[in-house]
Amino acid sequence: MTALAFDEAGFTYPGAAAPALAQCTFAAEAGAITWLTGPLGAGTSTALLLAAGLAPRHTGGHRSGAVRTLGVDPAEPGAPAILGGRVALVLSSPAAQLSGIAETVAQEVAFAPANLGWPRERIHSAVDRAMEALGIAHLAARDPSTLSGGEMQRVVLAAMLVLRPALWLLDEPTSALDSAGRALLHDILRSEAARGAAVVVASEDADGLYAVADRLVVLSGGCAVLDGAPQDLLRGDAVWDAGVGSTTIGTLARVAGVDAPRPLTVDEGVARWTR
Amino acid sequence: MTLAPGALAARAHPFTPLVVTAAIAVAALAVPGPGPALALYALTLVLVVTTGTGQAALRALVPLAPLWFFLFLLHGVLGEGGRVTVEGISLSRDGLALATTQAARLGAIATASLAMYAGFSPSRFVDAVAEREWSFSVAYLVVATLLALPRFRARAAVILEAQRSRGLRLRGSPLSRIRALGPITFPLLLGALAEVDERGFALETRCAAGSARRTALAPPLDTTADRLVRWLAAGAGMAAVAWRVVG
Repeated sequence: MTALAFDEAGFTYPGAAAPALAQCTFAAEAGAITWLTGPLGAGTSTALLLAAGLAPRHTGGHRSGAVRTLGVDPAEPGAPAILGGRVALVLSSPAAQLSGIAETVAQEVAFAPANLGWPRERIHSAVDRAMEALGIAHLAARDPSTLSGGEMQRVVLAAMLVLRPALWLLDEPTSALDSAGRALLHDILRSEAARGAAVVVASEDADGLYAVADRLVVLSGGCAVLDGAPQDLLRGDAVWDAGVGSTTIGTLARVAGVDAPRPLTVDEGVARWTR
Repeated sequence: MTLAPGALAARAHPFTPLVVTAAIAVAALAVPGPGPALALYALTLVLVVTTGTGQAALRALVPLAPLWFFLFLLHGVLGEGGRVTVEGISLSRDGLALATTQAARLGAIATASLAMYAGFSPSRFVDAVAEREWSFSVAYLVVATLLALPRFRARAAVILEAQRSRGLRLRGSPLSRIRALGPITFPLLLGALAEVDERGFALETRCAAGSARRTALAPPLDTTADRLVRWLAAGAGMAAVAWRVVG
């Protein structure tokens, strides 16, 4: 089932001379992880804001084409009520995503369920589960504003996981995380996809996502120029032509003059070079 | 300022300190003359000490001391009317009374406000509002405003350290100090503006603007004593206004 569909979608920020997205067409399926990437200014963050309905509602600007989020046009006036709690948005700067009024991590994670009017017992058990899943149960009584960036990002992820959303929109979600945090996030995204949620990740972390994502959509100049399996696309030259790199080993192989299809991991590289 | 867990201010229903503070502010502006104003200030001091927020009275002295000094100088020393000599200094009798009245009013308002702020718990306040099914947006604005100052200060400290490590000099002539304000103020304001955007995104995706009735996570107990104190405070505030109008 298609959870997110962009059909010739375009978007121009107020006062901008050029559109951030132009005739962009791609889709994200339920039960799969879709990885969005592209060179600087490619429009990946804008695509997520459009999908969440925050652009143009909060940002201003002009949208063209069609965007369907969980079957709804997110720009419609009634969309927030329909999509509320079903779409999770995680941005790269965790401090700005805290509610600003919670005194403890547990209250922070409970913020959205409380806003949705869940019964108290359901909130408490869901919050406990989410904090446990993100490994932050020991921080439950801490003031969220005093946490490190990595801890804060885990809190923000828990605050979304608690909702068990149908669609995840994540913009550089690993920027504040250490390697253990990145691995944990990838596990959670896989289990969320296995649950049936659609996961869309905008990231340049090729080493982390090539094995996690089911699909890779490369944006360039605000337009989707490549769409396929990451394992296939990252081995070839097309991603390089689009201004996007590959994994560290893939990059090394290209610099060393290895022809496509190139290895993506250390094991593949060793197998290739010792052949 | 950290309150003792058992302090009265920490246990009171969140609306009670708000109503009492508002009543003190109204009464302070309404009571006539130095005697009633000093009495109100004294009552405020007793209240903050007994509710466990006594430190607020000391903290209030920091902004109050210079204000009191200038009130005394402006009205007491430079004021007109009958004079009285104290320790060789000629003082205006009416000016002294006015300065005392204003100083006591400011003292009562500042002390009560700081005490209320010290005992304020954002989560308990939000829960109290949710329990009454009042607007969450208004509660959020109140809480976010009250919490903005310490967070702004913390952010300023981080920017200050960052700029110092990059060679910003904060010492020297007044001119160089004024020049140093730019590299601190602009990142502070721009960062705050950028954060407002992202926080807006986060709040919408976390259903802060939804139409559902928000669940109170731990509704604070509203005891009979709390309600009685609120009614008494409101009544006292109105009585002070009536005294001012009629008297």
